[in-house]
Amino acid sequence: MDATQIGIIGYGQSVYVKRTERSLFSFLAEASRHALASAGLRKDEIDGLAVSSFELPPDNAVTLAEQFGLSVSWAYLGTAGGAGPVASVINAARAITAGHAEIVLCLAGDNYDVAGHYRLMDNFNRALKNYGSPHGFGGANGLFGIIQRKHMETYGTERTQLGRISVGQRASAMLNDNALLRAPLTLEEYLNARVIADPLRLYDCVLPCAGAEAVVVGPLDRAPAGKAVRILAGYERHNHPPGEPAPLRGGWELFRDFLYRDAGFGPEDMDFVQAYDDYPIMVAIQLEDLGFCPKGEVGPFLARHSFAWNGSLPLNTGGGQLSCGQAGAGGGMIGLVEGVRQLRGEAGVRQLAKVRRGLVSGYGMVGYGHGLSTSTIILEKVS
Amino acid sequence: MTGESAEYPRPQEDSDNRDFLEAWRDGCLAVQVCGACGRSFFYPRPLCPHCWSDRLSWQTLPGKGEVVSFSAIYRPNHPSFFSDIPIVLAEIRVAEEISLLARIIDIVPEAVRIGTRVRLLAKSEANRYPLPTFRPDER
Repeated sequence: MDATQIGIIGYGQSVYVKRTERSLFSFLAEASRHALASAGLRKDEIDGLAVSSFELPPDNAVTLAEQFGLSVSWAYLGTAGGAGPVASVINAARAITAGHAEIVLCLAGDNYDVAGHYRLMDNFNRALKNYGSPHGFGGANGLFGIIQRKHMETYGTERTQLGRISVGQRASAMLNDNALLRAPLTLEEYLNARVIADPLRLYDCVLPCAGAEAVVVGPLDRAPAGKAVRILAGYERHNHPPGEPAPLRGGWELFRDFLYRDAGFGPEDMDFVQAYDDYPIMVAIQLEDLGFCPKGEVGPFLARHSFAWNGSLPLNTGGGQLSCGQAGAGGGMIGLVEGVRQLRGEAGVRQLAKVRRGLVSGYGMVGYGHGLSTSTIILEKVS
Repeated sequence: MTGESAEYPRPQEDSDNRDFLEAWRDGCLAVQVCGACGRSFFYPRPLCPHCWSDRLSWQTLPGKGEVVSFSAIYRPNHPSFFSDIPIVLAEIRVAEEISLLARIIDIVPEAVRIGTRVRLLAKSEANRYPLPTFRPDER
């Protein structure tokens, strides 16, 4: 099948909650039902399944198919943390191109809370369990505190600049009923919040929560009329740069030129950016390495832009993980779902007026010191 | 601070890291050196991540280092660290080719700078900590 005729034809999201007695499968099921309805498809039309979830083991994509009563010809288990869901869509499109499946349901979600998140991080992988946890490393917070300080020291980046990301996204979240944090947030409050892992403070960090996200990947002509979203380009990279515990880059800089070449558009043509926002510093690094500003100049770039849905650079227009909460691996799909929602004109009170295309980026799988994986996709409304 | 071993999470000892952990029980920092390409690396692995050779040997480093960057952690993961806050976790350059993540004790975060010199704890103190741990190097 022609790769240019494949895209995202449906999307769905579960409710987000701070803690829950509900099963992981129930969140994935809720997002799946919404995605199927959005695509206008019947369940038995799905013949491919991808899932990204930290809490899923000992289950996997195949046992999830059993739970959901699906028989599929292609199954994919995301292994790239918060970069996994965008990577799963890239790979689903390739599988459809190659004829392995026609309609793929891509899922991402988790049902943990703050305590569950800490337990997860202490045992995340052998390197962190053996050489991070015994130091009291503070989970991802301690590691990204090290990265942020290095960026501040190397390039002069300031918290007053980084804070504009959290503040802008919160303004968007105030228009999102499914965001867990909807109270107004000022730059003063950001700057003076409780210290978590200096230089990181409370509003640099995400709230671990329960929830799930879903998209349906398939032929564009299977989407409801006027609702198809084309995938213009997509790339992923894992374990880059090798051997550095706290790098100020993650792999976006390696594929950026190919991404824009394939898409036929550059950063200036993007009507929104849904960047992986585990921390504002990583959003800042994505903006640099995806070419929105030169390396090391993101501080002044942040100072001269505003990042709410109606700002000069619409960023994580549903509030992102920083305001909605981080539903585990679902955090790697929340931006994808929001991007599709915007391109379909279904974002309600926060709908962008003029929206043709945008960029969605993933990041994650924290190893010894930093996120090992990056992924980015460019989406366009089919007109 | 010395003597009793705290209830910190421990590394899982296996054939990859046994020599490293045994060296630390003697108060030493050991890293692997590749007999094929000559490069050294951390953390412990069963193969050289640069050339995949398994001709690996252990080298004890002088145990001195320099802070590359750091964080002061007020909310550690594991409850066993709650009475230690803030925990200073740093990226420390311990050899030309090797930076690692480690705790620095006996220093307030305000006193840490990029470039602050640190040294390994003495063997008498090492036992309390599961992994190579540093203190300021006053010299």
